[in-house]
Amino acid sequence: MTPSGGSWPAAIDGEAAARIARLMFYGLLAIVLMTLDYRGHYVESLRGLAWRALEPVFVAVEAPFDLGQRLGEEMRDRHELMDRLAVLERERREREAELVLLEELREDNRELRALLAASQRIAPSFQSAELMSIDLNPWSHRVLINRGSRDGLSPGQPVMDIHGVMGQVDEVALNTAQIILISDPDHALPVRVQRTGLRTVAYGSGRINQLRLTDLPMNVDLQPGDMLVTSGLGGAFPAGLPVAEVESLSRPVGEAFARATVRPVARLDRARHVLVVDSPGASAEPEETGTEGSGPDSEQPADNAATESTP
Amino acid sequence: MSKRGVANWTMALSLIAVLPLTLMPLPDAFSDARPYWAALVMIYWNLEAGRLRHLGQAFLGGLVLDVLTASLLGQHALSLVIISYLVERFRYRIRFFPPWQQAAVVMLLLFNDRIVQLWIIGLVGDRWPTWQWWLAPVIGMLLWPWLFLLLDALRQKERRRPA
Repeated sequence: MTPSGGSWPAAIDGEAAARIARLMFYGLLAIVLMTLDYRGHYVESLRGLAWRALEPVFVAVEAPFDLGQRLGEEMRDRHELMDRLAVLERERREREAELVLLEELREDNRELRALLAASQRIAPSFQSAELMSIDLNPWSHRVLINRGSRDGLSPGQPVMDIHGVMGQVDEVALNTAQIILISDPDHALPVRVQRTGLRTVAYGSGRINQLRLTDLPMNVDLQPGDMLVTSGLGGAFPAGLPVAEVESLSRPVGEAFARATVRPVARLDRARHVLVVDSPGASAEPEETGTEGSGPDSEQPADNAATESTP
Repeated sequence: MSKRGVANWTMALSLIAVLPLTLMPLPDAFSDARPYWAALVMIYWNLEAGRLRHLGQAFLGGLVLDVLTASLLGQHALSLVIISYLVERFRYRIRFFPPWQQAAVVMLLLFNDRIVQLWIIGLVGDRWPTWQWWLAPVIGMLLWPWLFLLLDALRQKERRRPA
């Protein structure tokens, strides 16, 4: 390696030692970074900054796929498009009929709420977005969408597909945003069992098709097939969005809480078009934000208790 | 650093090409078996051109990869640093191996890297990788000769042009 190396083994050793020292240094640095990232999220803001700086890479990688898709759409023939249009038109008419019925229900609901002196529900508004053709690390439980701060997105906004809640906006760059899926082990979502009104928190399990309820009381009334909807506690998600369906329930002997695994109703791994909900914000239910994630509080029978106290 | 400006463009191009190759969508069945392009390209430049030999370069490249793929910050950095160290350590042996043997060494390096990454995944408590995930080093080995020939050809061309 070095000209003097042949007769000076000590020099070689010194160089090897220096190399090993460098390996140790960078290895330790990486391990410290990983620990910080995993444990305390200390490097979160740094990471967000770097991610925003690297946004052009995503846009550049996405561009050819976008172009290909557009070309594919151009190539589709007229007949196919007309057929599709007819189908969509029919579907729209059916939906409109359903909406008329819903309008009546809403009116009823409004009157009932007025009688109960409960606060009005805020009708959430949506913004549609599309997933980008980019695969992140298969372990990351994050996806990218093609809307960013330019479209008024901000961190914390709920994201859903047509079936149910998918996740939340996490990092926002100019034209893209990162969504953290509800299946991420770091994600916790306040939910309510639709049938019984029981409130709990659904934690991500690290698997794309599974969430966990880990702090249910032992005598909980829960069956496979029960629907979970967002409870609206915490103020980040509007109440009543479908989240998941109960798959199985177990009561491990010797544990303090029963556990359940639930399956998200949103197609976390297959959705392509998503809706970003304009979040009601903390101002809608300010006094309830403290109770988020505080574990089981099943004594509240219905979720309008959360909104009752506002004048 | 730039020896007569040789292979600068080729290197820049190959490094840029790593990004779409790493981020482009693959069918679900293969997404775990995505070859480790960044490592392949880095090994090539270290072995054949004596570039990207510093551990710091591997570390920085790994950090960029971590941010882009939303991995744990430092995961790819650690993995690339270890690969870079091993390549540097056995550089003078690997260089003179016949191509098939070189490909086998590349597979061993990538396989070792899988174990390092498995360790990280295990510590974090993520889902266990599917069997396709272990296929990636084999795919890397099969890709190596072609990557080698392609980058060699590009470098030759570039070297001839300015002279």
